[in-house]
Amino acid sequence: MENILSYIPLDISLIAENFDRFLYGVWTTLNLTVLALVFGGLLAIPMAIARASRHRVLSPLVWGYTYVLRGTPLLVQTYLIYYGLGQFEAVRQSWLWDPILSSAWWCALIAFTLNTSAYTAELLRGAIVDTPKGEVEAAIATGHSYGLRMRRIILPSAFRRAIPAYSNEVIFMLHGSVVASTITLQDILGVGRWLNGRYYLAYEGFITAAFLYFLIVFAITRVFRWIERRYLRHLTRRETTTATEMTPEPTR
Amino acid sequence: MTGISALKINDLHKSFGQHEVIKGVSMEANKGDVIAILGASGSGKSTFLRCINLLETPNSGDVFLAGEKIEMKQNRHGETVPANIRQVERMRARLAMVFQGFNLWSHMTVMENVLEGPVHVQKTPRAEAREKAEALLAKVGLSDRADYYPAHLSGGQQQRVAIARALAMDPDVMLFDEPTSALDPELVGEVLSVMRDLAEEGRTMLVVTHEMSFARDVSSKTVFLHKGEVCEEGPPAKLFSNPETEQFRAFLSRMN
Repeated sequence: MENILSYIPLDISLIAENFDRFLYGVWTTLNLTVLALVFGGLLAIPMAIARASRHRVLSPLVWGYTYVLRGTPLLVQTYLIYYGLGQFEAVRQSWLWDPILSSAWWCALIAFTLNTSAYTAELLRGAIVDTPKGEVEAAIATGHSYGLRMRRIILPSAFRRAIPAYSNEVIFMLHGSVVASTITLQDILGVGRWLNGRYYLAYEGFITAAFLYFLIVFAITRVFRWIERRYLRHLTRRETTTATEMTPEPTR
Repeated sequence: MTGISALKINDLHKSFGQHEVIKGVSMEANKGDVIAILGASGSGKSTFLRCINLLETPNSGDVFLAGEKIEMKQNRHGETVPANIRQVERMRARLAMVFQGFNLWSHMTVMENVLEGPVHVQKTPRAEAREKAEALLAKVGLSDRADYYPAHLSGGQQQRVAIARALAMDPDVMLFDEPTSALDPELVGEVLSVMRDLAEEGRTMLVVTHEMSFARDVSSKTVFLHKGEVCEEGPPAKLFSNPETEQFRAFLSRMN
């Protein structure tokens, strides 16, 4: 074992020594990413409905919101919230300052949430608009009100169709969360940067970080594959599972 | 000829832009009537049916369901719109529709499709609705497919589910919009036979169709639409054996 390790041009013991830091980095990354996805997702649902509607005020309003947030880099958005807002005396005096806007963690969470909400809203809007027209008509003809058919027919169908695209958004958000490391947070990349800064050893920290991100993405894709199998069954061919369902072979 | 009026349509007009598709059609169905609506494509027969439950909003004309008028009003752009959307929703629940393209809710199983209207629109207790749904699926011969998704069924099976879904609402009138036109020829029979059973049970039905045999053998009254107007109507025996207008004669010879 000792021999093999000596051939790897990495200071493994340094990584091992700091492994608890990396674990804490994983926790910070997951924490920020998951919370941003949850809050962003919740924000995205009403925005997607408004965007898909032909409401003369709400639809363009949401369009503007998503256009701005998708049109600017997440890093810039994070800086604007973290460094930018603190410039205003009024912000520093307000009740929002002390627990929230002065904290890097909260600023990152707010930036990530707004960012993912814009992407998710557009993605969901597409899925809502793509709901088969006939299925919507069938609901109208059955006497479903607008709210009821949104809740029972359009959203459940749209959510399912959005799953594959949403898995990408989840991965992008995870990757985007490295931005947190630029505003002092010790997320996965933050720990890598810290290691590099302290020991001047770039590979140890960054390869470990890359490997950890890779592991998380691997887990995410597995989870989504399971979700797709469960919730997109209605779009796939039915598997012939039992012998009785199979067409018998013609006998000679 | 006097019966209880189930559905009455008075002088219905509908235009798409400059093009008038329905030019004043009136029709009355008494309880138990089966009215077959025939016509070449473009004659406005589907549009007419879709105006009854307001999937298309007619420009003028009245629809009465069991004597109750669907109230319309003019909006500020001068368009005709429902006066009270709740009333329209209530009426739609009593006017079940079967579509050419089945339009089953693809993310729901067969059973969930049949339960949706009774449970969520009519607020029937789930257990009661389920019992009825099982009976209806048995009636259309699909008891063993209750847990299937629509995509895993043949067209004929899907359309029979759609009929069960419509029946689950206990509708006063059933509207069929070319229910067999999207089916492979060998699957048409199973759907028609279910519809034939419904007619025999005394269901009130308006059926837009290209199935001449269904119109001739099953309908109590046949209406032939031509260019948005009623061209010829009457008992099918009389209509088919003795067409009066040139248009209907031409239509019949094209269909045979």
